[in-house]
Amino acid sequence: MGKQITFKRESEMPMISVSLGDMEWNKTGAWRTQRPFYEEKTPPCSAACPAGNDISGFILKTAKGDWEGAWNLIREENPFPGVCGRVCFHPCESKCNRGSFDEPIAIHALERFVADFAPRLSKKTGKAGEKRKEKVAIIGSGPAGMSSAYHLARLRYDVTVFESFPLAGGMLRMGIPSYRLPRDVLDRELSNIEALGVEIRTGISLGEHLKLEDLKDYQAIFLSTGAHRSRGLHIQGEKEKGVLSGLDLLKKMNLSKRIKMGEKIAIIGGGNTAIDVARSVIRLGKKATILYRRSREEMPAFEDEILEALEEGVKIRYLVNPIRVGQKDGPKRLECLRMELSEKDESGRRRPVPIPHSNLFIDADYVVIAAGEEIGASFLPEGAEKREGIVLTRRDGSTGIKGVFAGGDLASNQRTVAHAIGSGKKAAMAIDAFLQGKDAEEVIIQHLIGEGPSLSIFGYLHPGERLRNPHVVTFEELNMDYFEPAKRQGESKSAVKERIKGFNEVSSTLSEGVALEEAERCFGCGTCNECENCYVFCPDGSILKREELFSHQVDYDYCKGCGICFTECPRGAISLKEEAK
Amino acid sequence: MRRVITGNQAVAYGVILSRVDVVSAYPITPQTTIVEELSELIASGRLKTRFLKVESEHSAMAALIGASTGGVRTFTATSSHGLAYMHEMLHWASGARLPIVLVNVNRAIGPPWNIWGDQSDSVSQRDTGWIQLYCENNQEVLDTILQAYLIAETVRLPVMVVLDAFVLSHTAEPVEIPSIEEADSLLPPFCPDYPIDTQEPRSYSVITTPDYFLEFRYKVQKAMEEVPEVAKKVDDEFRSRFGRSYGAIERYGKKEAELLLMTSGTVTSTSRIVIKKLMEKGLSVAGIKIKRFRPFPSEEICEVIQGAKKIAVIDRNLSAGVGGIFAQELRASLYSREERPQVFGFVSGLGGRDITPALIEEAVQYTVEHPQPEGDILWLGLKK
Amino acid sequence: MIEIRFHGRGGQGAVVASKVLAVAFFHEGLYVQSFPAFGVERRGAPVMAFLRVDPEPIQLRVNIYEPDHIIVLDPTLIAAVDVTSGLKPNGWVLINSAHPPKTFQTLKGYRIATIDATSIAIRNGLGSRTNPIVNTAILGAFSKVSGLVGVDSIALSIREEVPGKKNENAKAAREAYNEVKY
Repeated sequence: MGKQITFKRESEMPMISVSLGDMEWNKTGAWRTQRPFYEEKTPPCSAACPAGNDISGFILKTAKGDWEGAWNLIREENPFPGVCGRVCFHPCESKCNRGSFDEPIAIHALERFVADFAPRLSKKTGKAGEKRKEKVAIIGSGPAGMSSAYHLARLRYDVTVFESFPLAGGMLRMGIPSYRLPRDVLDRELSNIEALGVEIRTGISLGEHLKLEDLKDYQAIFLSTGAHRSRGLHIQGEKEKGVLSGLDLLKKMNLSKRIKMGEKIAIIGGGNTAIDVARSVIRLGKKATILYRRSREEMPAFEDEILEALEEGVKIRYLVNPIRVGQKDGPKRLECLRMELSEKDESGRRRPVPIPHSNLFIDADYVVIAAGEEIGASFLPEGAEKREGIVLTRRDGSTGIKGVFAGGDLASNQRTVAHAIGSGKKAAMAIDAFLQGKDAEEVIIQHLIGEGPSLSIFGYLHPGERLRNPHVVTFEELNMDYFEPAKRQGESKSAVKERIKGFNEVSSTLSEGVALEEAERCFGCGTCNECENCYVFCPDGSILKREELFSHQVDYDYCKGCGICFTECPRGAISLKEEAK
Repeated sequence: MRRVITGNQAVAYGVILSRVDVVSAYPITPQTTIVEELSELIASGRLKTRFLKVESEHSAMAALIGASTGGVRTFTATSSHGLAYMHEMLHWASGARLPIVLVNVNRAIGPPWNIWGDQSDSVSQRDTGWIQLYCENNQEVLDTILQAYLIAETVRLPVMVVLDAFVLSHTAEPVEIPSIEEADSLLPPFCPDYPIDTQEPRSYSVITTPDYFLEFRYKVQKAMEEVPEVAKKVDDEFRSRFGRSYGAIERYGKKEAELLLMTSGTVTSTSRIVIKKLMEKGLSVAGIKIKRFRPFPSEEICEVIQGAKKIAVIDRNLSAGVGGIFAQELRASLYSREERPQVFGFVSGLGGRDITPALIEEAVQYTVEHPQPEGDILWLGLKK
Repeated sequence: MIEIRFHGRGGQGAVVASKVLAVAFFHEGLYVQSFPAFGVERRGAPVMAFLRVDPEPIQLRVNIYEPDHIIVLDPTLIAAVDVTSGLKPNGWVLINSAHPPKTFQTLKGYRIATIDATSIAIRNGLGSRTNPIVNTAILGAFSKVSGLVGVDSIALSIREEVPGKKNENAKAAREAYNEVKY
């Protein structure tokens, strides 16, 4: 380090004003009144992800071509990237800050890409190490149960999953047609969980083959049996032959059972099950008509699904409500009333009301009722309370019975795959806390993403590593000077006439080039991607690049706290705070 | 080798013989053919010099400031508005003590638009800290460029070599061109004081507080004060090798003359004829050629004006509100002397108008006939 | 001192002619000063070029107002500009023309010479048929009529100063030397 040089005489001075030494003696950091620091914050996508994926993290790795790193990062939170990349309704994308600029990132497509590409490069997931002595039983091998099993196995518990169906996967296998979720993708991700040492016992139904009392060897139990019972319409003729619930029909199809259903199928309902049934029926070469009592706007099915169904030839009749299934045998004649919409109900949708004397008849060979699902909870032990059709749990997922936790569709009305995965993760953390004598609620509050309810297990599994500030980055906090508009890249879909020939997947995985382009669109809200703006703009050369560090460091000996790095950071990964006085 | 070449070609030869490393320039009449000649030579690979294309004279000088700081020999040429556009960077070059050589082909500054000879462009840069050397013929142009690098690199100040538009720049006459070996023997390679070195990074021209700024300017002035001695040594060295020398000034004509005619540039050349003719007529006259305008050769002038009663100065420039600048500088030089000849300040030939022998004679006649001038500015050839 | 003025049109090569003639004199041991009319040149517009020659170094650095001789590269200029302006009495007026000198009797008080430099240029493939380059040929004629400079010096100068078709240009000068009428 040089010293300050002072000149007493002109003759001592150099010819020109040139530096003769360094200025390191001048610790300008002492002038600072505010301190910049690298602080990763929560991107809105992650906060909106019910499964708690580190979305900006995995996209950053994807943008660098690190497929495997991206895949592993998703799987820190969620063992089902291949499933979620296909069937998740991606609430992350509607919260994506890029949507305020041009179009949101195609997060689901990137997740699917990573899940499809990385395993080709990766070795099988290693075992979680020596198991603890505690055993955990999980009832139900759907996304909630398997997510829980996965994380508990990573926490080194001895986990056994009991499944009533002959195959694992729960609603992923029974409820979702394979043109949306190819079975090899599901099987791959389930087997990755099994590879961690999770045992799945199929064909064992709680209540029928197994009672809770039989599970005394297990120190904790997670109930994730789902909602498998179809709601009835409570109309005349719905129990007759030739009438089936949507879920039961899907189960039969997914277990490859043959069903005699004639040519013209009427499907009653406006949810995803109704659409799944209609599109499956179309693929069997039949005609499908959906009858929905409200209008298109109120339809709860995902918009993309509705559009694809219409493309494939599904007919949808709005504002009709069946009141009777006529004819016991043979072709059915549905008697319906025309409806009109009145004021909004408690769900925020306009309530359908019948138009008097508007009766009409619709003929069909087969009628499918897809009016929603509810839990079947005959096995529920005493002490487990039910309310509004679900098992009542505390914030940590615990039921009234000590050591028994519940999650997934069984304990929630938000019945999506991502919510189920998130609740399984929460149960894993709560069960671990319970078994280790920690305060489960406290653990959960500490690991919320943003303000929750999504949870991250990463910090729980890797204490002290890269914790994000829960602050959710807003669009206004980003610096748009550094982004150019770029078109959103989506998956391509196969042609309609190819699609309806069978149950092959409708959309295809992104190519590597397209995935890179799309990943590069990500703002990386609150996530340093080493763009080096701070390094370039710092007028004092006080940003230190460190190879071994993920991001940069501020040299507080010389940083004057001008805040330029904070202003010029495109993605809000730098914070500024008042210097302690 | 002796060849018939224009003044601008003489400049190009000077640059080639000085083994300039970097040229950056922007074309402007009447300088254009200098840049054409050099860029063609460089483009053809015959001249191993880097030519930096720029969008303006300001950038040309800025580019050379960078190159010269980096430790290489640099050259540019311009005229008139181009020189004016460089003004800020001219200060920078001298303040940074960079031995850049610039050729300015004297041209009037508009409006009215005018492309012809007039010294107002270069003399108005007199306060930028540049050495200024004016030339009388094409031989002197070439020789002065060689000398300019030697002076510049000795005192660490930039040098402006000045020649008249068209009368020299586009006029071909015989010029003796030294060989590259002869030029090399005069001019050693440039060794910078503070070269850019990635192993030892430096800040250049950093902000300097009032604590030290005065001292840096003092050093510039001291360097200027070294110029007369250094330039004389260079000129002597040049004479010993090439048999030609120029001095800071040149006195010609009658010894101990009562009337002196002071001129610069090509007017001197024509004046030689007039002085000779008037001497033959019996007039006690002599001429003084001012080659070095900055630093102004006050001492050299005072040494050669003993006994003179009057000095007629012909200025091909005008500082409006004052008059001809050479006359003004002369007056300032004489002020501290006990013996002060009358200074007759003629302004003539602006915007390229010919300063003919008849006009010069008219100036001398006026000076002979008047005990003192009728004003600070005597307009010569004005259409009254 | 001899002062010569060239009249041509922009693009005809009057400036080059002045320079070539200067170098020819230079080779004969004389001091020269060759310069264009200072200013802008436009193709087709009347232009001038000048030459001073003297056994002593030339100190005079002003325009030529009273030339000793003039050389006219394009005969149409005679009607367009006052080509003999300032021309000293008995000076040569050398005109590029196929016509005999007496055609130009209006130019009184001067010696007139003509040379069909255009035909010579075309014959030697200099320039194009529509735009022949006549500036070298006419110098050969000047050598003959003025007797101031040898045609060999002009040929030598052409070889040094003219960028292309050196042989053809030199040949044109020699042919003009032989064909000039005066």
